[in-house]
Amino acid sequence: MPIDGIFDSTVELLAKSVDLRTREHNLISSNLANAETPGYTPKALQFEESLQKAVKKSTVGHIGSPSVTHPAHIPLRGSADSIQQVRGTVIDVPAATPGRDRNSVELENEMSRMMQNQVLFNASTQLLTKKFESLRSALREGK
Amino acid sequence: MDLFTAMGVSSSALSAERTRMNLISGNLANANTTRTAEGGPYKRKDAVFLATTPTDRFGRALAGAKAAHLRQVTVDRIVEDKKPPRMQYDPSHPDANQDGYVAMPNVNVVEEMVDMITATRVYEANVMAAQAAKGMALKTLEIGR
Repeated sequence: MPIDGIFDSTVELLAKSVDLRTREHNLISSNLANAETPGYTPKALQFEESLQKAVKKSTVGHIGSPSVTHPAHIPLRGSADSIQQVRGTVIDVPAATPGRDRNSVELENEMSRMMQNQVLFNASTQLLTKKFESLRSALREGK
Repeated sequence: MDLFTAMGVSSSALSAERTRMNLISGNLANANTTRTAEGGPYKRKDAVFLATTPTDRFGRALAGAKAAHLRQVTVDRIVEDKKPPRMQYDPSHPDANQDGYVAMPNVNVVEEMVDMITATRVYEANVMAAQAAKGMALKTLEIGR
């Protein structure tokens, strides 16, 4: 979102959060679907740290770091990981005690991760809604 | 919409678990069947699951980063248990051999019950996942409201 004046980095960050949590939910669904498949290892998306770093970078070193607004853009120095560029990495999260069929999905684990992910997803969408609501309120001169 | 991929993955698991549940029902129903079309007692059947790349609503395999690490589940094949039949002493049974033993199906009712509970729980978990995906998709529609 290149129009910095109206849509600040909060909207960008929240949109990214919604995007990443959708991907995380896809992975959790895939883990749950394969809860009984022999040899399957559960996967998770790790992005919190890189997103945090990107937020820090966007708030601290904004001046002099051209933003990357398109996948084909080559990032310049200082803009190595803008919020939009954060993709997260898919990691294997095998349970401590895999079964005899080498399946290491733990149903409880996946369910609790799904709930957490869903709550945080809803929080992000709610904040986005509020953000736009307040913008709209400003456009209507507070009416 | 990427959340539809999640719903597709969950529904693949629902149909796989349903297939498994059908097999378990068949095994329990035939726990005492001594005659089959192939001859001999009933043999326990089990589904072998396989993790595959997710498909879209038209059955085409998804490609690219969208489906890179995602796996849906399909029933690869249905196998017959190779365990020997359980020999039960019952000389009055019409299928008893010369020594008075009847070859009973290799179905262990307790094992089947345990499998049934597992299948139910995994089915429920996947229903929850599909519901969560639906909830998230509907929540995004509220952004512009």
